Amino acid sequence: MDRRGFLSRASSIAMGAGLVGGYGVFAAMAGRFLYPARPSLKGWLFVIDVASMKPGASLTYTAPDGATIAVARQGLTGQVGDFIALSSTCPHLGCKVHWEGQNQRFFCPCHNGAFDPSGKAIAGPPKEAGQSLGRYPLRIENGLLFIEVPLEGLPGQEEA
Amino acid sequence: MISPIAWLKERIPVDGDQLAELSNEPVPNHLKRWWFALGGTPAYLFVVQIVTGILLAFYYEPSPRTAYGSVKYITDTAAYGWYFRSVHKWGATLMIAAVILHQMRVFFTGAYRKPREINWMIGMCLLVCTLMAGFTGYSLVYEQLSYWGTTVGANIGGSVPLIGPFMREMMLGGEAYNERTLSRLFIVHAAILPTLMVGLIVVHIALIRLQGVTEFQFKDEDQTKPRHFPFFPDHLYTELSIGLVLMILLSALATILPATLGPRADPLSTPEVIKPEWFFYVSFRWLKLFSGTFAVLSTGFIAFTMFIWPFIDGWIRRKSKYQEASVAVGIVAVLVIIGLTVWEAAVAH
Ligand code: HEM
Ligand code: FES
Repeated sequence: MDRRGFLSRASSIAMGAGLVGGYGVFAAMAGRFLYPARPSLKGWLFVIDVASMKPGASLTYTAPDGATIAVARQGLTGQVGDFIALSSTCPHLGCKVHWEGQNQRFFCPCHNGAFDPSGKAIAGPPKEAGQSLGRYPLRIENGLLFIEVPLEGLPGQEEA
Repeated sequence: MISPIAWLKERIPVDGDQLAELSNEPVPNHLKRWWFALGGTPAYLFVVQIVTGILLAFYYEPSPRTAYGSVKYITDTAAYGWYFRSVHKWGATLMIAAVILHQMRVFFTGAYRKPREINWMIGMCLLVCTLMAGFTGYSLVYEQLSYWGTTVGANIGGSVPLIGPFMREMMLGGEAYNERTLSRLFIVHAAILPTLMVGLIVVHIALIRLQGVTEFQFKDEDQTKPRHFPFFPDHLYTELSIGLVLMILLSALATILPATLGPRADPLSTPEVIKPEWFFYVSFRWLKLFSGTFAVLSTGFIAFTMFIWPFIDGWIRRKSKYQEASVAVGIVAVLVIIGLTVWEAAVAH
């Protein structure tokens, strides 16, 4: 290849590389800009004095974002394993389940999912996929029960 | 003194004849049959959506605290707000219906066959964009049903293997629906999808002009008459009269059945009966019939099959004696779609 041909080939390559590099960096920056940066804030909050909740008892805890969480005690050891705190978010596609007293189950209206009182799926797509209602992390410190929940959420109905 | 026309001509050197020449493609006679002109309908409705959408955007405020109130303002207070909102809503409904009908016409007449495979795939992209515009647009209203529809939709995206969680985060602007979600959906709805669609429509129409529409002859046609008629003005008049009929239809629908506003979104409770917009009834019923991952993967598979159908059809026609197998496949598909839609419409759960 002669000198001239080499120079023109090299400058074409440099031009191509510059364009791809320059706009590529721009696109990567735009992608990073659009990717949501901040994970949602969570925190440990006090629920109840362990001693004041008997095995078999349950209560409804209201998180700061307004979500209601069923907390139940099943064992007597006084350890954190005695307690469960069920999420009301359906593991299938994220609708809210509600408790149906007469059927002793949680029901999800979106695709007819149903869950027994311990959160295990007993009907609908969540059952087919073997899913259960999620559980919030719990912790016992100095005889007090704590729960880890989101600290912020969307404005609820009442603020409208 | 030089006349204004002559002045303009000096600066823009085109004349009427050249314009007519540019647009003057001979159009095959079968386009006088209205169902072959269906392709023009979504294009016309697209323009209606742009105009009414820009008007709505003057008052719409995309944030969870303000969105519902601003739609309420548009509906109840702004002068003719109810009209523009209702035309936008009915325009969306008719546009989706028109795209589906147009696609069925193309499918059942085999007009996607060689050399028009690429234009079929561009059409599929337009179908997906239109459905996404319908989905994101409805989510903006921030009423109960649209909020839960968006949540379920985002989680469906999230259950796609591998890239699902990333897609959901990009769509919602976070791990779950949050303060910044609506502005994303709004930009996708009002800027990204329309821009993309303009590009796709330009290429779609350019390819039609380059290849010509598929020629058909019907048995009842006079074989001695010319087989084409001019685009300008004949076909343009057909399209203009479709435009007039659509404007009257849209205004009548908007007046008789104006867009309603349900209760405001409540992120803490899902209503007892939830339904998406009618064009997602099929997928909604599908989701109830099968477990999450299977429903999502099978939907993806069906969409992919539709996308590459011209090649599958070509393969079937080369390898077997069933030259019109596609018609049978199409009839079964249409019946299944109608069946699932009616089923979903008929029951509460
Ligand atoms: C490409 C075709 C489009 C389709 C299929 C479409 C569809 C929809 C739908 C179904 C809604 C919900 C209507 C309701 O329930 O009230 C909506 C709302 C909205 N759209 Fe579009 N749209 C399109 C284009 C656009 C464009 C181009 C803009 C703006 C530049 C726009 C701006 C809006 C706004 C501001 C709302 C919320 C206000 C309201 O609900 O009335 N749209 N759209
Ligand atoms: S979201 Fe609960 S069953 Fe589908």
